[in-house]
Amino acid sequence: MRWTRRRLGITLLGVMGIAIAAVPFLTDDRYLLKVLTFVGVNAIVVAGLALLFGYAGQISLGHAAFFGLGAYMSAYLTTTHQTPWLLAVLAGTGIAAAGGLLLALPSLRLKGHYLAMATLGFNEIMSVLFVELRGITGGNNGLSGIPFPSIGSFVIDTPAGIYLLVWGVAALAFLGAANLVRTRPGRAMRALHGSELGAVASGVDTTRLKVQVFALSAALAGLAGALYAHAVGFISPTQFSLEFSILLVAMVVVGGTGSLVGPFFAAVVLTLLQYVHALIPGLGNDVASVIQDWEVDISGMVMILTVIFLPGGFAALVRRKRIGVAVDGETV
Amino acid sequence: MDSAALLQFAIAGLKNGAIYALVALGFTLVFGSTGIINFAQGEFFMLGGMLAVFFVRLGLPLPIAVIAGVLATAGIGLAFERLALRPRRDSGPLVLIIITIGGSMVMKSLSRHVFGGSELSLPAFSEGPSIVVAGAAIERQAFWVWGLTIIAVVGLTWLYSKTKFGRSMRACSLSHEASRLMGIDTARIVMVSFGLAAVLGGIAGVVVAPLTQTSFDVGARIGVKGFAAAILGGLGNPIAAVVGGLTLGLVESMSIAFISSTYKDVIALVLLLLVLFVRPEGILGRATREKV
Amino acid sequence: MRLLAVCDLSKRFGGLAAVDGVSFDVHEGTIKAVIGPNGAGKSTLFNLITGFDRPDVGSVDLLGCNIVGMNPHKVVRAGISRTFQNTQLFEELTALDNVLVGMHTQLRTGFLGGALRLPWTLTEERRARERASYLLRLVGVEQYVMTPAADIPHGMRRLLEIARALAAAPRLLLLDEPAAGLNNRETQSLARTLYRIRDEGVTIVVVEHDMGLVMEVSEEIVVLDRGRKIAEGPPLLIQKDAAVIEAYLGEEGEYV
Ligand SMILES: Nc1ncnc2c1ncn2[C@@H]1O[C@H](COP(=O)(O)OP(=O)(O)OP(=O)(O)O)[C@@H](O)[C@H]1O
Ligand SMILES: [Mg+2]
Repeated sequence: MRWTRRRLGITLLGVMGIAIAAVPFLTDDRYLLKVLTFVGVNAIVVAGLALLFGYAGQISLGHAAFFGLGAYMSAYLTTTHQTPWLLAVLAGTGIAAAGGLLLALPSLRLKGHYLAMATLGFNEIMSVLFVELRGITGGNNGLSGIPFPSIGSFVIDTPAGIYLLVWGVAALAFLGAANLVRTRPGRAMRALHGSELGAVASGVDTTRLKVQVFALSAALAGLAGALYAHAVGFISPTQFSLEFSILLVAMVVVGGTGSLVGPFFAAVVLTLLQYVHALIPGLGNDVASVIQDWEVDISGMVMILTVIFLPGGFAALVRRKRIGVAVDGETV
Repeated sequence: MDSAALLQFAIAGLKNGAIYALVALGFTLVFGSTGIINFAQGEFFMLGGMLAVFFVRLGLPLPIAVIAGVLATAGIGLAFERLALRPRRDSGPLVLIIITIGGSMVMKSLSRHVFGGSELSLPAFSEGPSIVVAGAAIERQAFWVWGLTIIAVVGLTWLYSKTKFGRSMRACSLSHEASRLMGIDTARIVMVSFGLAAVLGGIAGVVVAPLTQTSFDVGARIGVKGFAAAILGGLGNPIAAVVGGLTLGLVESMSIAFISSTYKDVIALVLLLLVLFVRPEGILGRATREKV
Repeated sequence: MRLLAVCDLSKRFGGLAAVDGVSFDVHEGTIKAVIGPNGAGKSTLFNLITGFDRPDVGSVDLLGCNIVGMNPHKVVRAGISRTFQNTQLFEELTALDNVLVGMHTQLRTGFLGGALRLPWTLTEERRARERASYLLRLVGVEQYVMTPAADIPHGMRRLLEIARALAAAPRLLLLDEPAAGLNNRETQSLARTLYRIRDEGVTIVVVEHDMGLVMEVSEEIVVLDRGRKIAEGPPLLIQKDAAVIEAYLGEEGEYV
């Protein structure tokens, strides 16, 4: 019985994977592919944030900054130092991880709202630095002419190629995260969320674990940022603002804590909200622009309403329906 | 740097510091009665300024517009508490944080729709040239800033220490459970503290609007700084909030004087992180421990 | 053999001496009880031994090594596991997962191994699950393997927490009021479980108010009152000890 349900889940995921992979072969709408590439990029960040927030119960309002760190690092290295793409992306991931480590080390002593404020402060500091460190970041103008992804002489310069690259990485990120939560480190994360005392009494070094998860999720954000930079070819400071951090948190909250599939779908939906016109061809321009204009309000309202009426997010709703188990209210 | 210039920087610091103090007081109030950080506190600041400008544009005389702005902000604060926070008030802090974050997102974004995306300004409360003291010029509006801050602090201290309401509030900060058993209407206390926090934020917002322009997106930055001030002094008591605010203002303006203005925001934030990491209970606060 | 030596342990909270110069030994393979009126300092004593709190003075030796000042998670590695007076289960995790978290120190899979599902990770997982199922059977909660802790009945939750503590393969198990809230039948079965655990080679120290259980299972009893040790000895002697009777009569006579 359980086994068949699991097989059903795996089948559904397989179908979804095939559908995602098939998109570039079904359409050659460059803009649509680009939009869907952004969805993949956000999904990568959300995979990490779901681990940090949804599983380990540690909030971060600084993930846009890690995303930006990855993007700027990789863009800077490839544009001014002609660093090979792969190396630059690794460096972007690395610097975000290092930033995460540096921020996490002192922050872990902080709980709930203090951690939220510390990460928020970090995001604001980075926002200023992205503008002011002109020599590296290009100031308000940002960096442009960021080269396409390439390995040796093999260049990925089509929208379809970049789409597949990003979604390939996203798939790996979710697969890895899904594996992780079902083994020792992932269980320890969920334990930490459930009862920190209980986790400590079980021999979990909670401090170390928090740093590790924080660094891992910062690294994923950095990786996504680096991929993003090469996908669009242009980055500027406004893209890495606090709003983006909050939107990312909203995706995890709405999708559901203690779930990966939920936040994934939330990432898809909330990202696409900004690009409805690309998605629904028949949609009138005025309707599309209204939705785009109200996108932040919609995301914010959905987040509040979810927390109030649907603790545990949409994933909990599905879970509850399926097993008929009342999920405890205190899940966020 | 000559002494007049230094004095000028000090005055600017004290002026900004008083604003930070007002915002910090809002954090302290809500933290005191609920134990949570209200991430929408900065938006109350934004709303105060924007609403006052809005009322001036409707044709109301300035004093009325200012008061209406503050009151409307208070109304929004009360409504926010009642509609969004109360349904989940018995949940863990993370839930409430998320709600206030969502709230700030919506308040900010709605303001853009209602008031537009451009920078707006409010006329000064009293007309006339700056007053010159020992070679340093002080805008008249600065006296409004200081005056209102002093009134707010004195009022709050009185409220906390002398009134029944204040005592109930302090009881709430220790334990909601116990307060409820003692017959205190905790729900009302929480709602009123949100209302008061909104008033403080609103006052800060209107009083600063004539000095710097205001726009729909000023909330987050001032929110973090107000929080930094609150943390710097030590969350929980009004005097600490003011000490924290003034300290932060002075440090900021001295860093402009001696280092550069580019990184003034960064300095406040780095200070916040340092205090959080090194002494989260603040300069004046006492360390607390959790019982296992 | 002497497994644990507590020596002159003291802890003050403000003006209150919660634990005051307490010394005793625990011998390997025995069940020892710590009793005392409410607020006597029993839970604080456990916190001091397991590193959740730091004593002002005194030492705790486990097999000759001083463990005072060690982080609580290191104390678990050193061989002492505990349960809490207020159960600290992971409510959303199944009983099985709760016990698997308890095995944290016994497993080695890290982030990389977990994310990549390396072959030896899978082997380790399989073994861990077998061991966890065994522990659930040992304490008698096997019917709840796949139930989230939040949905498990109260008495069973206490047993589950014991299973989780056992999962760390401790040499010494500290139980803080395991019978609190259990009915008679459950308490009886708890006693049998404690024997089974001891027979597996785990030494037990139990804080308990249920005197029936204490008298039945323990070989030695330490009595605390207002932070001080007022008596120590086998159950029969403790029952007759004048100071103990005095301490309990002063509070609630019903205990003895
Ligand atoms: N963290 C703390 N801060 C202040 N006082 C504390 C703390 N922990 C315990 N105490 C006090 O120390 C004393 C001993 O408490 P403890 O919990 O150890 O008692 P106990 O013997 O376990 O009681 P019970 O049988 O009720 O569980 C009590 O007076 C308690 O109020
Ligand atoms: Mg106790």
